[in-house]
Amino acid sequence: MLRILPRPRTVAQTAAAERHFRWTPYLFLLPYLLFFVTFRLGPAVAGLGVSFTNWAVVGQPQWVGLANYEAMFRDPRLLTALRNTLFFTALTVPLLVVLGLALAIFLNQPRRGRTLGRVAVFTPYVMMSTAVGVVWTWLLEKDYGLINVYLGKLGIPNVPWLTDERAAMYAIVLATVWWTVGYGMVLFLAGLQDIPEELYEAARIDGASSWGLFRYITLPLLAPTTFLVILLAIINSFQVFDQVYVMTSGGPGSATLTLVQYIYVTAFQFFKMGYGAAIAGLLFALLIIFALVQTRAYRRGLKGASA
Amino acid sequence: MKQLLRYAVLCIVLLALVVPSFATTAREKVTLEFWGGWTGPDADTMKGIVKQWNDKNPDIQVNLTTQAWSPLFDAFLVAAGANKSPDILAMHPPEIPQFVGLGLLTPLDDVIAKSTVIKPDNYLDTAWKFSSYDGKQYGIPLDMHMHGLFYNVDLFKAAGIKDPPKTGKELLEDARLLTLDKNGKHAGEQGFDPKNIVQYGINMYTNHHAFYEWYSLYNQEGGKFLSEDGKSCAIDVDKATAAWQFLQDLVYKENVAPQGQTDYPRDFLSKRTAMLVDGPWRMPQLEDSQAKDGFNWADAPFPVIFDKPAVWGSGHTLTLPSKADPAKQGAAVQFLEWLAANSTAWAKSGNLPAFKAVMESKDFQSMTGRQAFISQMPVEVTLPNTVKYNQIFATNAPTPIMVMAQNIILKQADPRAEVKTACDTINSILATP
Repeated sequence: MLRILPRPRTVAQTAAAERHFRWTPYLFLLPYLLFFVTFRLGPAVAGLGVSFTNWAVVGQPQWVGLANYEAMFRDPRLLTALRNTLFFTALTVPLLVVLGLALAIFLNQPRRGRTLGRVAVFTPYVMMSTAVGVVWTWLLEKDYGLINVYLGKLGIPNVPWLTDERAAMYAIVLATVWWTVGYGMVLFLAGLQDIPEELYEAARIDGASSWGLFRYITLPLLAPTTFLVILLAIINSFQVFDQVYVMTSGGPGSATLTLVQYIYVTAFQFFKMGYGAAIAGLLFALLIIFALVQTRAYRRGLKGASA
Repeated sequence: MKQLLRYAVLCIVLLALVVPSFATTAREKVTLEFWGGWTGPDADTMKGIVKQWNDKNPDIQVNLTTQAWSPLFDAFLVAAGANKSPDILAMHPPEIPQFVGLGLLTPLDDVIAKSTVIKPDNYLDTAWKFSSYDGKQYGIPLDMHMHGLFYNVDLFKAAGIKDPPKTGKELLEDARLLTLDKNGKHAGEQGFDPKNIVQYGINMYTNHHAFYEWYSLYNQEGGKFLSEDGKSCAIDVDKATAAWQFLQDLVYKENVAPQGQTDYPRDFLSKRTAMLVDGPWRMPQLEDSQAKDGFNWADAPFPVIFDKPAVWGSGHTLTLPSKADPAKQGAAVQFLEWLAANSTAWAKSGNLPAFKAVMESKDFQSMTGRQAFISQMPVEVTLPNTVKYNQIFATNAPTPIMVMAQNIILKQADPRAEVKTACDTINSILATP
């Protein structure tokens, strides 16, 4: 006979079972926890320690207290990197969220070619960042690139996508959105499919318009997913490096220099590990602030909704 | 029982005779770790050379590791931190000071004293000098390379030009004749249409090679980059501006070079530019194109645009890291002595051997196209020696030289202002400890 109901127990047995410590969940978590502590938490804490020193990889680190953090205020290139990274994030995040949602809604409705569409949008996401950078460098090449060739057929002169300091960041945003929009779409698809169909039926019976359905049912019920997509997009955009490094190396001039690239060259090319670690600490602090602000706004939004 | 015992003793005695002889005939095999940052055809050429050595020398096996220079040096630092440096590390001469500053390279004076092959007289003066720092020799030069002028022989003939340009005046004249608009008019001619150019006279770099071209011109004027003590920027603003202006005008005033170019060899091979400033590494590709498509090219020394001949160059040099196994140093020197004398194969990939015997050999001298570069070896100038080499001259980050070059060539920024900004940034880099 299938055991569907819990085994009958006496009161004393149940109390004993509740007092007994459950090892199983922790055993399941242990492999990842070990990995996390060794390769994520440990190095992060060690990095914080390095940021209070001057260290050139070889030789002993020298304690310098807050000197690296003070130096950050007097570093014009750090300001450039910060500004570029914020600009990149401000362009990329709304595009990822809005396009991701639009694609999810479009590809959630039953229609022909829906699966092909989903695969097509998501496939770029599994490409390696450096491959994406190389492919887009070829596409955006000023004199021979495919994009300019087709624009030329429309009568538009060759756009210096990667060699003009105003165009370069937009080119990188374009490549990045193409690469990662699939991920947001998948998250939104999951969120959309969690919304009960009866809500839409009931609203339609009451005479709601398409826009009304979207505004009063879809958006509010998607709020947790939207929150997640925005948060992930911000965190990832702030840490952009690979495709920028491949496409422009931070150029032309320093028009596309990003925070992570600056950390990388400072620590691993200029051999200034301490200063690099300090900038990484700054990046971490910024991301924590963004996450906290967003979480606070979300919670307040929830409270407002349930009032 | 006695029979058994007798057999046992016999076996033991036989073994005792045989086994030690195994131990003595098996000589110790030394494996050397040789790291270089060559990628592409250069890497294949070096791998072939190392294989030649390995085939002939079973006792000293060389294990060659190649990856791009930047991650190679990262890996080198980490290995040095763990006291496991490679036995031989290749690099470019201007990179020596920063590693010496970290105590990672062995001075080679002892090695030079004991060797019969590795002696200053056996190498080109300039090459030998470039691998020394602070009065000591740290590198054994492998090769040199510098800019030269490649040109399309057919296009030159069509424009009525007999010889490649040797001076700035000739360069401008030739470039004007070679820049054609779609109506066949050349630059400077009445009715020339700069908006419809189908062929340009010469290329203009938008990457770090723009800085290297400027460096050639600036040195032709006799300009200095860093002060004698290496602690401040010593750039002569007037001379620097004149050099940049010449290059900038090629694009924006004379219209003889394309704006925003990114694929220079392709533009040369597709006849978009009639001339190409580039290094000897380009020759295998040009030779290939000549064999397959009949592309008719030739080369000449980089023109002397200002007062005296000078051309930017670099090279490869071989160093012995200090945190490697000292017992293996003898074997490493043996390999390096062999490599020096047998580097003709290395020349096939376009590099110019610094070892005099190879450089002066008939094999090398008869390779086509090499003469133009060989003649420039005495006037090559490398980037200045400084411990802060990466922070000032690195090409994959917005260093002061990259920002200056790209702003002037891509944005048509004011050269005087850009030079001053670069000098200020360099001074602040040199000031921090």
